[in-house]
Amino acid sequence: METTSSRPVESVTPSPSPPTPRPNGERGAITSPLSPLGRGVGGEGTPPLLLFDRVSKWYGPVLGVNQVTLELRGGITGLVGAHRAGKTTLLRLATGQLRPDLVDVSVLGHDAWTERGKRLVCYCPDIDAFYEEMSGEQFVFTMARLCGYDAAEAKARTAAALDTVRMTGRADRVLRGYSKGMRQRIKMAQALMHDPKLLILDEPLSGIDPVGRNEFIALYRQLAERGKCLLVSSHELDELEKLTDHVAVMARGRIAAVGTLTQIRDLLDDHPLSVRVDAERARPLAGALMALPDVVGVELRDAGTLIVQARNPRRFFQELTTLVLEEGYEVSHVETLDDSAEAILGYLLGGRARR
Amino acid sequence: MSQALGTEDAVPGTRTPSHLRAWLYLVGLSLQRQMRFRQMVWIALALLAGSVLLVAARTATGRWGMHQWRMWRGVAPVSFESILDRVTAATEAGAALGLPTSAGQEAVLMSFRALLDQTDFIVLSTWLVFGIFVSFLLPLWSLSFATEALGGERESHSLLWLLTRPLPRPAIYLAKYVALLPWALALNLGGFALLCLAAGRPGPQALRLYFPAVLCATLAFASLFLLIGAYFRRPAIIALVYSFFLETILGNMPGTLKRVSISFYTRCMMYDAAQSYGVQPEKPTVFLPVDGTTATCVLLGLTVALLALGMFLFSRTEYVAVE
Amino acid sequence: MGVHLLNYRPWRGEFKEPSASVWPIARVGLRMMFRFWPFWVIYGLGLMIFLLFFFGQYLLAWAETQTAETDVRVGGFGSADPRVLIGVLRNILKLNGSGETYRNFLWYQGYIVMVVLALAGAMLVGNDVRHGSMPFYLAKPLSRWHYVLGKCLAVAVFINMMTTLPALALFVQYGLLDSWDYFLDHARLFFGILGYGAVLTVTFSVLLVATATWLKRTVPMIMTWATMFLFPRLVAPLLVDGLHFDARWRLIDLWNDTYLLGNWCLGIDLEQIRPSPQPAFAEAAAVVVILCAVCLTYLLRRVRAFDIVK
Repeated sequence: METTSSRPVESVTPSPSPPTPRPNGERGAITSPLSPLGRGVGGEGTPPLLLFDRVSKWYGPVLGVNQVTLELRGGITGLVGAHRAGKTTLLRLATGQLRPDLVDVSVLGHDAWTERGKRLVCYCPDIDAFYEEMSGEQFVFTMARLCGYDAAEAKARTAAALDTVRMTGRADRVLRGYSKGMRQRIKMAQALMHDPKLLILDEPLSGIDPVGRNEFIALYRQLAERGKCLLVSSHELDELEKLTDHVAVMARGRIAAVGTLTQIRDLLDDHPLSVRVDAERARPLAGALMALPDVVGVELRDAGTLIVQARNPRRFFQELTTLVLEEGYEVSHVETLDDSAEAILGYLLGGRARR
Repeated sequence: MSQALGTEDAVPGTRTPSHLRAWLYLVGLSLQRQMRFRQMVWIALALLAGSVLLVAARTATGRWGMHQWRMWRGVAPVSFESILDRVTAATEAGAALGLPTSAGQEAVLMSFRALLDQTDFIVLSTWLVFGIFVSFLLPLWSLSFATEALGGERESHSLLWLLTRPLPRPAIYLAKYVALLPWALALNLGGFALLCLAAGRPGPQALRLYFPAVLCATLAFASLFLLIGAYFRRPAIIALVYSFFLETILGNMPGTLKRVSISFYTRCMMYDAAQSYGVQPEKPTVFLPVDGTTATCVLLGLTVALLALGMFLFSRTEYVAVE
Repeated sequence: MGVHLLNYRPWRGEFKEPSASVWPIARVGLRMMFRFWPFWVIYGLGLMIFLLFFFGQYLLAWAETQTAETDVRVGGFGSADPRVLIGVLRNILKLNGSGETYRNFLWYQGYIVMVVLALAGAMLVGNDVRHGSMPFYLAKPLSRWHYVLGKCLAVAVFINMMTTLPALALFVQYGLLDSWDYFLDHARLFFGILGYGAVLTVTFSVLLVATATWLKRTVPMIMTWATMFLFPRLVAPLLVDGLHFDARWRLIDLWNDTYLLGNWCLGIDLEQIRPSPQPAFAEAAAVVVILCAVCLTYLLRRVRAFDIVK
């Protein structure tokens, strides 16, 4: 951040100018515009539901999350990124399981590490561990009791939550024998049970059958319509695309881009990109590449290496593939030289931009 | 999906959640979940059964006192009891022959016999209480439940559910301690009582005198091992190293270094309680015991201090499953 | 040809015998243990006894050169009569390069070996069962015996790191202090140490793998292990020395059984073994063999059914 005086960060109304994908996530606060579904919580005066303010977290010498700034006020936000990009770390910071090394994570103005923060968040973890000897119903009930509700209240909440995830009547068996999908539903039920404004879901759709997925996606949309704020992580963009248009892309511990998928795609098209291409007949390939409309420059490094400057990456990679196949060039290596851009592209292009 | 969505609509009269209620429930839950460690309970009970059998066997053979202990081993082994019997017999024979028997002589013989009868308590203390119970059973039983309380949840990754509940972390730690106490106390005190009962005549006395020491030691050990469980990833191993390596080595070393070990204060409390019955350390000048009140204060103080330290550490440590 | 096919290369190597998997299985386990810092702390504690013997031998060799003096200074601790010093080192610690030296060393290592093995059992086998890595092993073209052997091998490495190797180091050191002839004259001791080491290795690796397979969870495993080792070690002397029960009661102490076998390997007479009386060598051997057989039978029945019936 250039100035620290302007905390808390900018506005929450859908910004007229699309947020810029920032390959280096530390520059500038990234504000979440409302997704089309969300109603939003509060206005300028109230603290945001979830606020990461230049948060960093180290695991020993490894940087897990690097200067992440993120503000959520409503709607559904998808969090995508490769494995080990820092998604889970980010979510664990938000649910108070990890403490940031630099600056705090706050939930409605309360530190996420404290119990006041935790009361305002519900969490569906990615870890598949329960009190295995309990039945699904007992488990949700136990979680309700541990939130401080009395028995009657906890019972009512459990019934309602199980109904929501369509586990009514199926939740009386011991958890040990559940399928992956049923376990996922129980996790979801315990998250919904204490009904906070902010829901943090770590890979909630993994292991669920397609029918169940659609049910869950519908559920998330309904929750958002009721004014809940959802932060949903997934490593599959296709999955998230059905749910929300608004995503944050994580790469190597940073938020590489935030915005709607269309915005990110459009902006990437204008974002010049350096691509390294190793080929046997480098010189003729360079000539052929220059003929492509999206290539703005080609540099011949040494005998077999080209550095290509391209403008519209999506189209460029399509054209490159066609060219190589049709003309029969022996290409041994293609690599995007920009880390963050590579990660974003990896997701937006379905893996084609990666090695 | 369903209409029940947004549970606030579905739940009649949203009552405010209470921290205390949640904490009490957690205590109950933890207490109940300890029952699940069946293997552990069985092993502990098997160990208890074995020890009780051993003690009972000794009681049955009537070998607690020093009556059968022999003098002049290797030359002409004679047991204390037989000497006493012979002296008594000789005195009586002399009396029958009309030799004068002084009242003093009678008194000496009687007090010697009374002393010999009391030795069973000393033998029981050295053999059972110090030899087996304090140096082995007490630490092992305390270790089992105390390291499993947090260590077990960490091992099965279910600690996550507690840590994401709206409960202050020190309260979670305290709940675990409170929940493990009934088990540890039942095992340690109950086990000790059983062993004492199996020991016959000197048993109740031993139970009465050593009961407070066992209680204090259980509190302190539970507090220490729970702390180890909160701090180390393999608490049981660390606790094992501590109790059977450090405590054993330190506890038997000359000098004051052993004053960092819990078993030292336990022994001191016991020696202090049984002082008038002739129970004392083998080499008091090497053992350098502290008095009973100090030992009790140290053990209770240690319990509180370790508990506080544990609460502090637990509230600052991150427990996430390592891939 | 599609571009994506370029990445695919069929496996062209040749598979080795399943027996080649034993060492990798062991190696994985060893690496896991070596990365765990408390292991090194415990190992360091175990080395303390070794260091005592190691420098004791030096001290003895040095004191023997000082017999002409009546009074020598020992470090900064004060002075002592060299003959007394020699007497203490020779007769009490038995630092005289005889079989008793190595036997005593191995006997004193008992506690720490027990602790290291408890750790090893919990980490090597318990982990596989608890975290479900068992199917990965059993799905490979190797039989359960290779798995068991691999784990036993890893355990064996730890046992030997604590016992045989330091004992051999003491042997070499004594030879160097004494004369080269020592190695020739006492070649039997060399094989005796190896024999003692082998007895320890076989007995404890099999026993440990069986216990860990049976109990899986760390705490019960450690409790059982402690019960098997510490409890008999406390009780057996009380029974035999205190209550004058039959010397065969010492057989319940497994460390004592292997100790007897070790004495036999090192050629020490039964009468000279303290504490006495001791049961016969053959009886100790019978206990060890029966125990190993039971453990192996258990493993045979157990490793098969492990994950199918959970």
